[in-house]
Amino acid sequence: MGETITFWVLAVVSVSAALGLVFSRKAVYCALMLGVVMLSLAVLYAVQDAPFLAAVQIIVYTGAVMMLFLFVLMMVGVDSSDSLVETIRGQRFWAMIAGIGFAVLLALAVGQAAIGDPAGVTGANQRAGGNVPALAELIFTRHVFAFEVASALLITAALGAMVLAHRERTRPRPTQKDLAKARFVSGYPGPLPGPGTYARNNAIDMPARLPDGSVSELSVNRVIARHDVEDGRLPDDPELAEAIRQAAAEEEEHNASIAGPKEDR
Amino acid sequence: MNGAIEAPTIEYGQLMPMLLVFGAAVVGVLIEALAPRYLRKAIHVPVTLLSLAGAFALIILQAVRDGVPEQASAMGAIAVDGPALFIWGVILVLAFISMLLINDDDQFVAQAAAVPGSPEEEDAVAQGGAHTEVYPLALFAIGGMLLFSSANDLLIMFVALEVMSLPLYLLCGLARRRRLLSQEASVKYFLLGAFSSGFFLYGMALVYGFAGTVDLGGISSALASVGGQDSLLYIGVALLGVGLFFKIGAAPFQAWKPDVYQGAPTPITALMASGTLVAAFGAVLRVFWVALGNLDWDWRPVMWAVAILTMVVGAILAITQTDIKRMLAYSSIAHAGFLLIGVIATGDAEQNSGSLSGILFYLLTYGITTVGAFAVVTMVRDAGGEAGHLSRWAGLGKRSPLLAGIFAFFLLAFAGIPLTSGFFGKYAVFAPAVSGGALGLVVVGVISSAVAAFFYVRVIVLMFFSEPAADGPTVALPSVGTAAVVTIAAAATVVLGVFPQPVLDLADQAASALFIR
Amino acid sequence: MTTHYLVLSALLFAIGAVGVLVRRNAIVVFMCVELMLNACNLAFVTFARQHGNLDGQLIAFFVMVVAAAEVVVGLAIIVTIFRTRRSASVDDANLLKY
Repeated sequence: MGETITFWVLAVVSVSAALGLVFSRKAVYCALMLGVVMLSLAVLYAVQDAPFLAAVQIIVYTGAVMMLFLFVLMMVGVDSSDSLVETIRGQRFWAMIAGIGFAVLLALAVGQAAIGDPAGVTGANQRAGGNVPALAELIFTRHVFAFEVASALLITAALGAMVLAHRERTRPRPTQKDLAKARFVSGYPGPLPGPGTYARNNAIDMPARLPDGSVSELSVNRVIARHDVEDGRLPDDPELAEAIRQAAAEEEEHNASIAGPKEDR
Repeated sequence: MNGAIEAPTIEYGQLMPMLLVFGAAVVGVLIEALAPRYLRKAIHVPVTLLSLAGAFALIILQAVRDGVPEQASAMGAIAVDGPALFIWGVILVLAFISMLLINDDDQFVAQAAAVPGSPEEEDAVAQGGAHTEVYPLALFAIGGMLLFSSANDLLIMFVALEVMSLPLYLLCGLARRRRLLSQEASVKYFLLGAFSSGFFLYGMALVYGFAGTVDLGGISSALASVGGQDSLLYIGVALLGVGLFFKIGAAPFQAWKPDVYQGAPTPITALMASGTLVAAFGAVLRVFWVALGNLDWDWRPVMWAVAILTMVVGAILAITQTDIKRMLAYSSIAHAGFLLIGVIATGDAEQNSGSLSGILFYLLTYGITTVGAFAVVTMVRDAGGEAGHLSRWAGLGKRSPLLAGIFAFFLLAFAGIPLTSGFFGKYAVFAPAVSGGALGLVVVGVISSAVAAFFYVRVIVLMFFSEPAADGPTVALPSVGTAAVVTIAAAATVVLGVFPQPVLDLADQAASALFIR
Repeated sequence: MTTHYLVLSALLFAIGAVGVLVRRNAIVVFMCVELMLNACNLAFVTFARQHGNLDGQLIAFFVMVVAAAEVVVGLAIIVTIFRTRRSASVDDANLLKY
């Protein structure tokens, strides 16, 4: 009875979480939904006499794999929500139809099979003195080669991450002395002027005026300036607006120099 | 607790070729860790090539001295039988010559972590940086191929599938030029590959649910004894098939092949197009013949449809291609279809060994010719790297008659013209298929070869009978490795086309005892 | 009860497969693949109990090992392409169209 209740509760939770994974637009929500599915499955493993797997599921899947997913999501930008524009017309519709058909087919196939009462793994567990020793015996006898070969996978994964992510320094790291020199050579050794907040406005995107009354374009944050230009939030004063536009143009240039990959290289 | 676990027996002698390759890969990782940068390549090359050659020698030693084992090795996980030894030999030969291509400088990115076009990348190129990690990665992939083709249970087959695929996903993204294409190919290959291995896994789960074991022999005997759960079995087999068909690139799961072949560095494309195909056919044969041999009446109609679709799609879409690597990819799809004819042509033991020997011979001939063709592709270069677009190949025959002649010869071998190895390969597969009652398939096969031949001839005409463009691509002076690859491949294509009998006999001998269970 | 578990696993698998087809963000697509692998594991564990042998549990264990390695490689590849293009959408990966 207890198993039935657990099953139905977790079945509802895991299926709705899985649907959430497919339909929520924000990638972080997707990751959390996947975490919920994994945790419910861990409980279902425990219910089905697989305590070792339940523990491994939590440690490896929710602990390591999900964290890695979240880590990468944070790295590439949490706000990277999905576009809902269909690039292939009708693709979403047909994918749904195919998915529902596939689910029905699988469920029918499983339902059709004359499956008797489960034999239960208690016997197999007891022969070796518990679930973990029984699995250990299988791993180190019948399936020992698969176990050994899995090490090749782990080495590949480590090597692959190194190849793709490790950046070797091609130039010597600039010392503090170099940095200080560069700063003085640049012709502007002091800190950048602060924005004109509270001088005439209470907004942080307003350029400050220098003592001689001229507008300092160095005083606005370039990223904010770009947003201002894109959203058309420019001040009425033409001098200030011009400074913001210049800062925005600099930001564009900067971006292009980082993200402008040359084709055919 | 009832005491210690009894130690498993592992037949190290029989598994030595595979263990040698894996061992060399691990040594390669240690070289990366310990050797100074300027020495790494000089150490990697001999280690890699010697281990592959040594593994090949061990296979011959095994076959000559001990004969073929009668039982599965490593507690029943691996079957080192006649076909497995032959396939291992083929994979190692193909891997060796692909490795000579991989050795060639200037194919792999200087620093993969640097953004394409960034100052860091320019620095890395200027300093002559190179990822020597490709050697251990390629060796892991080759080890996975050996394991995939000789797996005796579905679990080891799944692990081998991943051991083979993961390094290839990585290697695909490491091209030195056109890096965006290369990275894109890598992502596509990875996502689709993971998707298909999900299907393989669910199929494996259902088959396990049916049979209670993942042992191929055990599944075969469960076919007769288990009743009332056929629906599990059928869906399971279908899903297993999806995973395997994806790996061989059979239609309708072929879509990744042209993209990945085009984007990947050409030496890696050569390794994938030859080695992976051979290994995947080894696995297909094991699943469908050993485990599901008694179910052939049920899977044969589906396989007919897949084979016909694969041949037609491969041949017809090849015609519309304008990129040389994409064209070779579609040709590889069509060839997978021809090989499927051999898989379908089952019957009694004699029939089976005839078909099997045909498949083994075809895999060898196709693999060598493919590596040769991709080696030629690496040599025809533009300012921006390889000249992929077909229009750039116009008039190549006038500028470099020798190279164009060899490429034309490879294309004729793909088409199956007599006096090339391709002819005997096709004959070796089609003849048993006719006697096995798959005449319809053979007719489709011959027609689609004719369609494909039309396209190959068009390329040859383009190379020899049109005017070369003024700023046409240059033919790079080949390095020793590339020249050796082209020479070996051309020589093998001629020798197997004129005097195939010894190798055919060897394939017959390897296939005579069929698979062990 | 076995059938219930299997239907649940089939549902999760199908939802994962649909997710792979409809989502555009490479990371989310990959999460859907992980959902499919998890559904497979549920089926393995259920069948292990059904047959009373531990092979199924063992396979599920190996699937987790393989999935962990696959995640590392996959995310490394996705991060690389993101660094190049500042986008993880599979729609933007369209250079290989012909």
